Amino acid sequence: MDHRKYMRVLKLDESELASRRAFFELTDEDLARLARLRPFAEKYTDAIVEEFYKLLLGHAETKKFFPDPDTIKRVKRSQREYFLGLFTGKCDLAYLEDRLRVGNTHERIGLSTKWYLGAYRKYLQLISEYLFEELKDPAEARAAFASIQKLVYFDTALATDTYLAAKLEAIDRHQAAIRELSTPVIRVHHRILLMPLVGAIDSRRANQVMDSVLLKVTEAQAKCIIIDIAGVPVVDTKVADSLVKTTAAVHLLGAETILTGITAQVARTIVQLGVDISTMHTLSRLAEGIELALSLIGKSIQSTKRAPRRTSKRTVRRG
Amino acid sequence: MKGIIPILRLGRTLLATIQTDLRDNVAQAFQEDVLLALESRGTNGLVIDISGLETVDTFVARVLAETGRMAKLMGATTVLVGMRPEVAGTLVRMGYSMEGVQTALNLQEGLALLRASRTRTTSSQRARRH
Repeated sequence: MDHRKYMRVLKLDESELASRRAFFELTDEDLARLARLRPFAEKYTDAIVEEFYKLLLGHAETKKFFPDPDTIKRVKRSQREYFLGLFTGKCDLAYLEDRLRVGNTHERIGLSTKWYLGAYRKYLQLISEYLFEELKDPAEARAAFASIQKLVYFDTALATDTYLAAKLEAIDRHQAAIRELSTPVIRVHHRILLMPLVGAIDSRRANQVMDSVLLKVTEAQAKCIIIDIAGVPVVDTKVADSLVKTTAAVHLLGAETILTGITAQVARTIVQLGVDISTMHTLSRLAEGIELALSLIGKSIQSTKRAPRRTSKRTVRRG
Repeated sequence: MKGIIPILRLGRTLLATIQTDLRDNVAQAFQEDVLLALESRGTNGLVIDISGLETVDTFVARVLAETGRMAKLMGATTVLVGMRPEVAGTLVRMGYSMEGVQTALNLQEGLALLRASRTRTTSSQRARRH
């Protein structure tokens, strides 16, 4: 997934940038101070990156993100770039985009936020140690550290936001897949469709069932659709009502609905609930439903075994 | 003919194809035209094609269903054909069912349905005579 797209998802524009910077109290003065610290950063980059990776590679769970020396070399190089990026004195949209890439990469490789945040703690510690060592004036060092901290937290917020956005997007994708799978329609025969329902039906899914049934019936110009509810564990008033409505809507299209897979339990429930299903064809077994559907289009299933010789071998014949 | 919806005659069947949105007066004019056309001799079937309608509100649905019941009183069977899936879904969700009219997927099916019902009536009449 392209990280640039998160610029849109997170609505990162000039006004959002200004709002974030204001909240993190990241002023132009801070950025100017960071730019002045560039020589310091260049001097200590290698040392800080080395020690930083000592932590990551010293921990079994984080070590597995760096399987070979080449990877380690590559990530160290990008880490150096990242580190020096803190001291450019810039914090514009291009900077944001670069930071989004970090969050997106972490999500892609499956690095969870605990490692990210934990590693950042180490980063800050290393920076502060070297900073207080380098700058003799403690007041100056404190001011410098405060500016670094602002930008680091600013970055962290961006990276976690991207991380979450990427996760949410994955969830959305999965939900779409589930929706698709929850109302499958199979073509059983010319102009006969079958929708086998498996699993619990809530009002949302009931609506999907209706929309999907109507659409598929029209698309296939089907004479008949069989809805098999053998796999639905609980049929309550709502489910029964939605099935009655679906049948009525299919009738408006000019087709018929056959409800199969009605168990003793479901039959009892429907009668006790007083749902009027007199307008529906209902049967207990799917096989019977298919036979009924065929008879509606003027066909029938015949056995070839005992049939006289002169009838053809075709099992489905025009009536 | 007063309305803007053309009503064609195909043997003993009337065929009306509704392409435009039915506003109040258009719907009333359509109903009147249909009933007047049914007065002429030998008509016993009416097919209304609504595949061109993207939306059907309760008013239009009522006019169509009523037209069907009125046609029945005049001895004609009404078949509503080509309703779009989203229209069917909306009508049922609003608790509206088109009582008094038959439905079919498309024009061809609608005409076949009328033919079948004619055969049934003639054969039952014959049976009664015997």
